Parts: sequence; C-alpha cells; structure tokens
Amino acid sequence: MKRCLLAAIFLIASLVAAPAAETPSELKPFVRGSWQQMLRSHAGRPTLVHFWGVTCGPCKVELPLLGKFMKDNAEVDVVMISADLVPNLPGAARAMLEKAGLGTAENWLFADGFVERLRFEIDPAWQGEIPRTLLIARDGTVTTIEGSAEIPDLEKWSAQQKAAAK
Amino acid sequence: MLRMSLLATLAFSLCQTAAQAQMSHHQHASEAACEELELRCASKVTPAFASDGTLWLAWMAGGQISVAGSKDQGRSFSAPVQVTKEKLKLDWGPDARPQIVVEKSGGIALAFSIFRDKAFNGQVLATRSSDGGQSFAELRPITSDNESQRFATLGLDADGSVFAAWIDKRNRVPAQQEGRKYEGAGLFFSSSKDGGAVYAEARLASDNTCECCRIGLAFAGPGRPVVVFRNLFEGGVRDHAVMTFADPATPGEVRRVSNDDWQISACPHHGPSLSISAAGTYHVSWYTNGKARKGLFYARSQDEGRTFSDPLPLGRADRNPTRPYVLTGPHGATMVWKEFDGEKTSVNAMTSHDEGKSWSTPVAIATTTDTSDHPLLVSDGHKTYLSWMTKADGYRLLPIGDGS
Repeated sequence: MKRCLLAAIFLIASLVAAPAAETPSELKPFVRGSWQQMLRSHAGRPTLVHFWGVTCGPCKVELPLLGKFMKDNAEVDVVMISADLVPNLPGAARAMLEKAGLGTAENWLFADGFVERLRFEIDPAWQGEIPRTLLIARDGTVTTIEGSAEIPDLEKWSAQQKAAAK
Repeated sequence: MLRMSLLATLAFSLCQTAAQAQMSHHQHASEAACEELELRCASKVTPAFASDGTLWLAWMAGGQISVAGSKDQGRSFSAPVQVTKEKLKLDWGPDARPQIVVEKSGGIALAFSIFRDKAFNGQVLATRSSDGGQSFAELRPITSDNESQRFATLGLDADGSVFAAWIDKRNRVPAQQEGRKYEGAGLFFSSSKDGGAVYAEARLASDNTCECCRIGLAFAGPGRPVVVFRNLFEGGVRDHAVMTFADPATPGEVRRVSNDDWQISACPHHGPSLSISAAGTYHVSWYTNGKARKGLFYARSQDEGRTFSDPLPLGRADRNPTRPYVLTGPHGATMVWKEFDGEKTSVNAMTSHDEGKSWSTPVAIATTTDTSDHPLLVSDGHKTYLSWMTKADGYRLLPIGDGS
C-alpha cells in the first residue's frame, strides 16, 4: 500500500506540477511498525504526537485548541493518532479533525484489532487512556502529558524548541 | 500527455481503493474473530454457574446478545438463545459487558447496555428467563430515566432478589440548567424482587464518580451489597472507593480504598474487582497510574472497608499488567490479570489460603497471540475457573489449581 502510494505520487509528481491529487485529510492506518516509521520520519524535528478518540469527552474540548496550536506553530510537526478504546471509525474521526482545523495534520487511525500490541510498541506502560500527548524534541527527548494538555505548556515547549534551534 | 495523466489517475485511484479496502479490512478485524452471532465470534463473554453445575454464558457477538448453557464445563453448549431480536449498537467500551446471574430456581437475569445516540449516551436494558434459559422476556430499560446509563453490574442476593448498580448521568441535566459544572456521573442502584423482570425505582448511591469504568459488586452478607468503584475525589483524583450498603435500599458511606493520587482528566476505562470471603474479608484489585503508585494493585480489608492493607503490586511492570479480577471460594482466594510481553498476552494467576495475607507465586495459565477479552473468574461452588474469550483461540474455561 505504501509502495503503491509512492508509485502514484511519483507518477503524478513527474507529470503534473499542480497538487491535483492532494488528500488533505488522509487517515493513515496505524498498524504494527507504524510507530517506529512515524518516529523515523520526524527524527530531528520538534514533533507533537497526540492520541485521541471520537468517544473521548476531554478530546472534544482539546482538539480545536490543538488545531489553533498547529496553525500558530508551523515549525512543530503535529501528528494526530486516533487511538480510541472502541472501534476507530474513519468517518467520525475525519469529521472531528476537520472541524478542529486538524485536517491537514499528519493523521493516523488505529487499525489493528490487537491494540495491546500497538500500545506496547508505543509505550509498554500505557494502558490506553486518552487524551495523551507526547512532545518529542529535536534531540529525541520525550515529554509525556497524560490527560488534556495545557496549551500554554505546549507554547512554552514550542518556544524552547525554536530557541534551541538558533 | 493525456494518456500519461490518465495512467497516473488510474494508478492513484487503484491505490486509493487499496487503501480503503485495507482500512475497512482492519476495521472489520477489530476485536472479534467473525461477525456472526456464535460464541466463537464474541468480543465479550460473561459466565455464571447455576446451582445444578450448568455453566451459563452471555456474550456479545454480531451486535447481539446471546446465551447458552454447558453441562460439561464448557466443552459443548446448548443451542444459543438470542436475547436481542435485532442488531443493536451495543456498548463496546472496554469495561462494558453483558451481566448474567442465575437464581437457585434456575431463573436467569440479564442486563447490558447499548449506545442510544451518536454522543455515546447509554441505556441499560434488562430481561429475564423463567424457563431455564430457553427464552427471554422482552427487553426493558432498567430505569425510566432517559439520560445515560452504562456499566450495569448485577448480583444475586441471598433472598433471590437481584441487586443492580450502574453509572448514570441524569444529574448533569439539573446541574447544566443551573449553570453548575458537573463532573463524572452518579453511581445509581436498584433491585428486583422478581428475578430481574422489574426493577424498583433507581436511587443515587454516590454522585460524581468516574463515568467510564466497570463496578465491582459483592455481598458482605444477606441484604448487604458492597460496591467498589472508581470515584472522583477532590481535585479530579480518580482513585477507588468502597461502599457497604446497610440494606439493599440504603447506601453506606464512601470509603477510600487507596490513596493513589491519580488526577487525570481522561477516561481510564479500567475498573476494579471485588470479592468478599465467607469470613468477611474484602478483597479488592484495581489499576491506577497515580502519583503515589502506578500499575495493578491488591488490598484487603477486615473492617468493611474502613481500613485497607498496604496495596500489593501485581505483575511485572515491564509487561503492562492489566484487567485484574479477584474471586474468593471455599478453598481460598484467586486472582488473575493479563500481561503482554510484546508478542503474546498471558493470563497470570495466584492464590491465597490465608484471607489474602500471602499469595502464591504468579503462574501464566493461558496465553494468546491476538486480542482478548478481560480474564474473569467464576466458581461452581467447589472449584474456581478462569473464563476467557480470545479472538485467536475462542472461549476457554480453565480450572485453576489451589496453588497448594
């Protein structure tokens, strides 16, 4: 599937300059190995990873705030992972992301029935409570925020990342 | 050029189809092995033994609730009886499961919850079989209130009445109308004198408890239900509490099981387990990720929950221990939980013969390499069994040695 997408992107990129095939709210299936793949693709860049779900009450409040954070902090990569403890439904997840201004973030959706294994790859101590935010610094240092994050804390972290880059 | 861009479009649309197929395949794959109604397709299975030794199971599969009995300890089952008449939006929360109690007379009381709307508000439905599980009465809401109920738990009292406790959000309505902030949900209860056909008017046991965890229920004696639940203590701390009822209509005080200091504005979806021995010892196991301690823990109380022993950690911290369950029987107490080693999930068990003061070394008694239901314990009055539904290996009922 990834190879297939790459082939398509290559074909299109080599033919047309206009981003006709852009899919702003693609939901990537998060399966075994996705976590390491995601980490590798953001290595060396400040990255905010947010685990959320459509049935999570606090997430409904936090998502639009994260949408604004993404808009205001272009130098931070924002990765959203739908990791609900109930079946993760693409339609509902996409609608909520778009409403929150996160349609263009890097969006993933848990897509493996064996969620224990997915969670174990991410953090063996995590039992699936959402929301959960990981702030990954340029040097790979991870700060974990359980429950709803305070946006001023995220802004502060983002500013530190910016300062460290100078 | 036209041909080439057509080619690209074709390649892209093919890939999109592949992506969608993959997504829907994964969605489909979710927790269950198949989509039909049979036991092998179940995501949640709840057991109960009848006094004649029949093992009854109530399960969720294919969007419906079914029941079947086994007279040979789970090797074969009677033809399943559908409790639901149509596919329903069953509550699929990790801690939600159908509840089943079997009376001495052979009557069977059931309760389960469905999602009533897109906002995941729930409704608890109840029914009863008075012909030994051959048919079930029409489903009735356990309460007439229309707000939201989830996580019902049923227990059979000594006089044959059925005690029910659940999480109920009705009190958020007046709070919102008055502009007050309302946290969590109420712990409500009721009981049925006719074996689960009709329940008395629901009453509040304790308000502002955690809204997303199963409730532990046991009896301290005839007419004395005891519930253990994740409470919301001052400052949004989701630690556990126990309540001993004076009688099935009179809630007792809220007593703290442990000061874990887990302040979190999120749903743990990971509720406690309670069992009370014949000697009156309360055995409680639970999960926390608090400042004071993190992981699975066990504690016991010999004064009806006024004081508890120091929490005993369960399992290997590097193997993500989850879903503890404790049950006392005539030969002592048994405790199980799940661990995951990166490849497989195991159910670990240990036993105690001194009212929980000391426990045997944990032993892995079952494993599976795909997703699984919570491990549960069930007793036929003689032996304690592990009851465990797995996606890859189906349903299992395993007798647990007494560890001696």
